[in-house]
Amino acid sequence: MSEGPIICQDMQKSYQEINEKIKAGEAVVLTAEEVSRMGKELSPAEIAKKVDVVTTATFGPMCSSGMFINVGHPSPPIRMEKATLNGVPVFTGIAAVDLYIGATESHPENPAYGGAHVIEELISGKDVELVAHAKGTDCYPRKDIRTTINRERLNEMVMFNPRNAYQNYPAAVNSSGRIKYTYMGSLLPRMGNINYSTSGELSPLLNDPGMRTIGIGTRIFLGGTTGYVSWYGTQFRTDVEVNEFGIPVSNAATLAVIGDARKMDPSFIRAAYYERYGVSIFIGIGIPIPVLDEEMALRVMIRNDQINTRIVDYGDPDKPELGRITYESLMSGEIEFNGKRIRTSSLSSIFKAREIASILKKEVASGRFLISEPVEMFPREKSLNSLEVRE
Amino acid sequence: MTGNRKGKEQKRFTMQQTRKRMVLRFPAETVNEPITYTLIRNYDVMINILNADITHGKEGNLLIEISGEKENVSAAMVYLEKKQVDISPVVKTILFNEHACIHCGACSSVCFPGALEMDPGSRQLQFTPEKCVACELCIRACPLQLFELNFGVN
Repeated sequence: MSEGPIICQDMQKSYQEINEKIKAGEAVVLTAEEVSRMGKELSPAEIAKKVDVVTTATFGPMCSSGMFINVGHPSPPIRMEKATLNGVPVFTGIAAVDLYIGATESHPENPAYGGAHVIEELISGKDVELVAHAKGTDCYPRKDIRTTINRERLNEMVMFNPRNAYQNYPAAVNSSGRIKYTYMGSLLPRMGNINYSTSGELSPLLNDPGMRTIGIGTRIFLGGTTGYVSWYGTQFRTDVEVNEFGIPVSNAATLAVIGDARKMDPSFIRAAYYERYGVSIFIGIGIPIPVLDEEMALRVMIRNDQINTRIVDYGDPDKPELGRITYESLMSGEIEFNGKRIRTSSLSSIFKAREIASILKKEVASGRFLISEPVEMFPREKSLNSLEVRE
Repeated sequence: MTGNRKGKEQKRFTMQQTRKRMVLRFPAETVNEPITYTLIRNYDVMINILNADITHGKEGNLLIEISGEKENVSAAMVYLEKKQVDISPVVKTILFNEHACIHCGACSSVCFPGALEMDPGSRQLQFTPEKCVACELCIRACPLQLFELNFGVN
């Protein structure tokens, strides 16, 4: 960053000090939007003094998600080799009755129904049909089973999502002559619209772009209950261009998260289907960020007009970059690009992200949700390999 | 493009023009007749077909927007009645399961008439059925599949 790190020696708060305030019900907690507004009038030093915790949130479609379940052993027992839940294939390549429901796996006859819907139904307490086959072994003689499972009967329901909460993501347009149905939604021909996915100034990793306070072990809000950051997410990268406010202008950091799905609330985990693309899942994530010092204050003050992203053309298979745009412009509903007015759509719900940030704010302010220092930090430098095609 | 068309339409409507949206239900015996052709040629009305569900030899439904001079539109209606076409004015063409909406806004940018818009303050989706032309783009754009086409009539 051009201005260099601003660290004031006398304004430092430790995690322990902030947690003592939280336990005493004395912590000052704001949502990331509230602190961004406050930042227009107050300096980072004043905010560091005033505010202890800032709550961030996002509620967007996150394909790399799923849930481990243990269905319990029948009598006689079975070592499941192929299994479906409501007709949706699930992963059985682990122990006998452990299954992983991948969110994007779809029903072979109904592409609009998939793992995400099964996950949502299990979280909602509905019955789901399990069908499994096995070859039968000396220790697991059963070959077939057909039964129903539900939240009360399962031994464990653990949501584990390998990649969630992308730090930033390019906005999508389509310059071709026909409509494109993509994971970035319906893209009208001849740049008829532009779609983006972020909660902007509310987004967790945009409020702590250097990941000083978010790392392995960070306690978070996940799907309506407490969850944890279990690792950095897949495709995590740090070698991305940053703007003058320290914000990566493209997809960079990601999170792998884990939580007890039995305690989740279906209003924060919603199954989705994108036309001709397939099934995905909306995941609600909230992360409290401690304002440890002036530098963190400066980070959480970030506003939508200071966060930009690339505009990428999905009409071309190479997805070339066509320009840059701020989230303030994208959120206005219409942008001007190459002399043309283009309507914008978000894929991520800011309305729901606000709901999560305010729930988390209440939880922290009332002393029920403590902040946690990462057990270990994420890699400071990490790049990505592409897949080589070898014949 | 949309802008130009709007401009032209507005000009036309300054002179005793009318525009109606309706569902035409054809009896089996008229399904094979070129009714829209006759309407356009003999009555000088504009027909915008918003949705069609017609099988030859069976009853058919056609969702249309008909516009033109008032007398022409009335004469066209008389012709349709003579042909025993059942005319039902349309109340609502797209059904929106608002209660289940998560307000992402994925539908709003494909909605060219502006019936689906995000409120800039509350960030909630606002549906204005009066502006809807039942183009159906929202049906495919909604990741929660909350829109459906409704042939509902008064």
